[in-house]
Amino acid sequence: MSETSIAIQSSNILVSLNGQEVLHGIDLQIRAGLWTSIVGPNGSGKSTLLKALAGLLEFHGEVLVFDAPLNSFKAKVRAQQISWLGQNEVTSDDLNVWDVVMLGRLPYQDWMAVPSSQDIQAVETALQATQSWDWRQRRLGQLSAGEKQRVLLARAIAVQAPLTLMDEPLTNLDPPHQVNWLEQVRCLTSQGKTVVSVLHEVGMALHADDMVVIQAGRIVHQGACSEPTTHRAIEAVFDNRIAIQSIHSHWIAVPNLLRSR
Amino acid sequence: MHKTLENFIAHLSGILCLSFAFWFSSTSYATETTKPPQRIVSLLPSLTETVCALGACNRLVGVDRYSNWPESIAHLPRMGGGIDPNIESIVALKPDLVLMAGSARGVERLRALGLTVLTLEPKNYADVQNALGVVAKVIGVSSKESDRVWRDMNAQVEEISKSMPQQVNAQRVYFEVSPVPFGASESSFIGETLQRLGAKNILPAAMGVFPQVSPEFVVRARPDIIMVGDSNLADMQARPGWMNLQAMRTGRVCTFKPNESDILVRPGPRMVEAARLMSKCLIDKSAPKVKPNP
Amino acid sequence: MSLNKSNNWSIALVMLLSIALCIGIGLSVGSSGLESLQNAWHDEVAWQIIWDIRLPRTLGALAAGALLGLAGALAQGLFRNPLADPYLLGSASGATLGVALALAFFGGNQLATEVLVRVGLTGAAFVGALLAVVLTLVLAKGVQHTMRLLLAGVIVGVVMGAMASLISLMRPDILQNMQGFLLGSTAFIGWSACIVMACFLIPCLCFAWFFGFAMDALSLGESTAVSLGVPLRAMRMVIVLLVALATGTAVAQTGLIAFVGLAAPHLVRSIASVKSGSLALLSALMGGLLLLLADILARSLIAPQELPVGVLTAVLGGGYLLWLMYRNQNQGALG
Repeated sequence: MSETSIAIQSSNILVSLNGQEVLHGIDLQIRAGLWTSIVGPNGSGKSTLLKALAGLLEFHGEVLVFDAPLNSFKAKVRAQQISWLGQNEVTSDDLNVWDVVMLGRLPYQDWMAVPSSQDIQAVETALQATQSWDWRQRRLGQLSAGEKQRVLLARAIAVQAPLTLMDEPLTNLDPPHQVNWLEQVRCLTSQGKTVVSVLHEVGMALHADDMVVIQAGRIVHQGACSEPTTHRAIEAVFDNRIAIQSIHSHWIAVPNLLRSR
Repeated sequence: MHKTLENFIAHLSGILCLSFAFWFSSTSYATETTKPPQRIVSLLPSLTETVCALGACNRLVGVDRYSNWPESIAHLPRMGGGIDPNIESIVALKPDLVLMAGSARGVERLRALGLTVLTLEPKNYADVQNALGVVAKVIGVSSKESDRVWRDMNAQVEEISKSMPQQVNAQRVYFEVSPVPFGASESSFIGETLQRLGAKNILPAAMGVFPQVSPEFVVRARPDIIMVGDSNLADMQARPGWMNLQAMRTGRVCTFKPNESDILVRPGPRMVEAARLMSKCLIDKSAPKVKPNP
Repeated sequence: MSLNKSNNWSIALVMLLSIALCIGIGLSVGSSGLESLQNAWHDEVAWQIIWDIRLPRTLGALAAGALLGLAGALAQGLFRNPLADPYLLGSASGATLGVALALAFFGGNQLATEVLVRVGLTGAAFVGALLAVVLTLVLAKGVQHTMRLLLAGVIVGVVMGAMASLISLMRPDILQNMQGFLLGSTAFIGWSACIVMACFLIPCLCFAWFFGFAMDALSLGESTAVSLGVPLRAMRMVIVLLVALATGTAVAQTGLIAFVGLAAPHLVRSIASVKSGSLALLSALMGGLLLLLADILARSLIAPQELPVGVLTAVLGGGYLLWLMYRNQNQGALG
């Protein structure tokens, strides 16, 4: 494989939440222009790690984003460089779809927040990409859970940042829209953008380029998704209750029912 | 940095508020007008009664809702109460003098509207005498007349107190003004009347004029006689431990009807009537001093 | 997008027209009724009633209601809780304590009492409200955690209220004065009060409008807002400051009027879905309209007597919200 540049480089990340250490010294490298998936069992610290990489948590250690320390970024610059899609914490039902996605353009707007033609273009593109264009005037409160998720995804896409971090982006999405999401990510990487996702659906995660396997706050394995070592690492981390197999040149995770206890 | 900004803004606005208020309000403290006021509004019952006692009842054009004496003011329009005077009604009457309590709301507002407002809130005999004099001066009644009214009152109270029998001496009284409870202490006009009648007050002057007492204090003080308005009696009986009070058990409780209560709590010309009511109560309920139960 | 915007503008227009109508009505009702208006041209006292009493009172009710409505919208945006009201940060109790302290310390000299107390009570209430909020901020160690802020606000409110009660116990002579000042009333608003309120209202409205985007971002979640580069801490500080200023100003001039701050944003949301900036502005209009209506009814229902305005705000605002709930229940829609 040709030498791709590193989008994120972290060394010895330590994160404590509520007095307990959750991440114990994470060293990882995320390659630029590719899609990296982070998998691991519940409570392994996946979301925490992603938040730390996005600069949303306090951590010890160093994170370099495009070779610059994360702490050195000014808030607005960081907002333009890193797009974040977190788990659904929406509290207001009053905003309409268009306004929600337009919020993704905040990093480019001054305080008067008047949308430029570029902003409008970005919002339109994002809405089209998530098939949300037709109901852009509807309020969040009138949408189903899946529709809401697509709108939030559009919001993240509208930022048009070179690095996109997504935490459980497939929540509430039905299979066709999960596939759309996959296509979206491929579209982003084809534009040279970097995507990092935390997914608990291992089957979907296996479609990524690179995989980071994490367990109990430590990195167990980093490598390409097609590598057998990666597959063994995933199986091991899930107690061998799943087996990674290939069907039609796609990797899938199959429940391992044959193993006797 | 934000806190400094906040504090600065707080100070600035405080100053702004004060300066604006000073700027726009015109305070008139004229106690001497060229012509004695002909249209008087009184917002305190005792001041209403004072004005009438000085013979200027016919000059009253408006009173508060609680003023109810003498009969001649019954037809006058009511301007609200102490806490909620109706500014517009008062101004519409075109008064040249407004009498009200100092603690009443709207004093500044009325003054800002250009009305002459005199605030008085008598608490004891000296205050009442002072109020008589001040009101007389302001409404153009001669000080001779106000002095005469005062001497009259005083003399009648003296007469009543002279006619008090021996047994009243050293009777310890608790006078309850309102449920909560608020009582009348030695330093109030009610307390002073009691004193002149020979009785003692369980609430010492140090507690304030109309202190809020703890029911326990009254229980411990073991008053010989209790004076209370009849609407508050049920409340009183419900208080824990009170039914066992010597005074309650032996029926040495004087209850007063609403119109009598009015007389008792107004520091004005009707203090004489008040003294009479209280003397009747004291004579009625006083008995040879019983040894307090161990 | 354009549909929504024009919808909002038309709502604002309707409210402004209603306000104008109510101001007109406000000038014609009162203890002396319509005849004051009719006689105003030739009768000096009637003119004084219209110009010096009814007009500032009417405009003052509008301004106070607007301040409270705005503060309510900001508080609900800040705490992301539809049950938040502007007094949550402790400002009401702070004002009470300020008034109690001013009365207790200035009660000596008769002249000092008359001058300083009347004028200074307004300032004392205002400063008390602000200091209470500062104390809340200190207790909550900043604005980072809204839960802590909420808790601190409640604690400060309760403690300061208790201290005010203690002071009035030790000095029962101030009790009537205190009650009189704090009982919510629009009856004593003069031109100076109006101008002071307007001076605070306009900048608060401007700030709320400009910082609406921050509250919108916040409604998507804290992590999202931070990731979008919103200076969350600074924004929250500003919002807290705005709520404190707006509430303190209103309370200082009109006493404690409940429900306007809580109800106004809900009333607006029941007729339109708007972004935070517009919500703040429309809530101000709605709050102003609500208090204005309540003031008019207070003086006209049992004229020449008056009802307490707080009762009417509760009846008007609460009644409408109840009707909304009932209607939503019947329609089976979510509220």
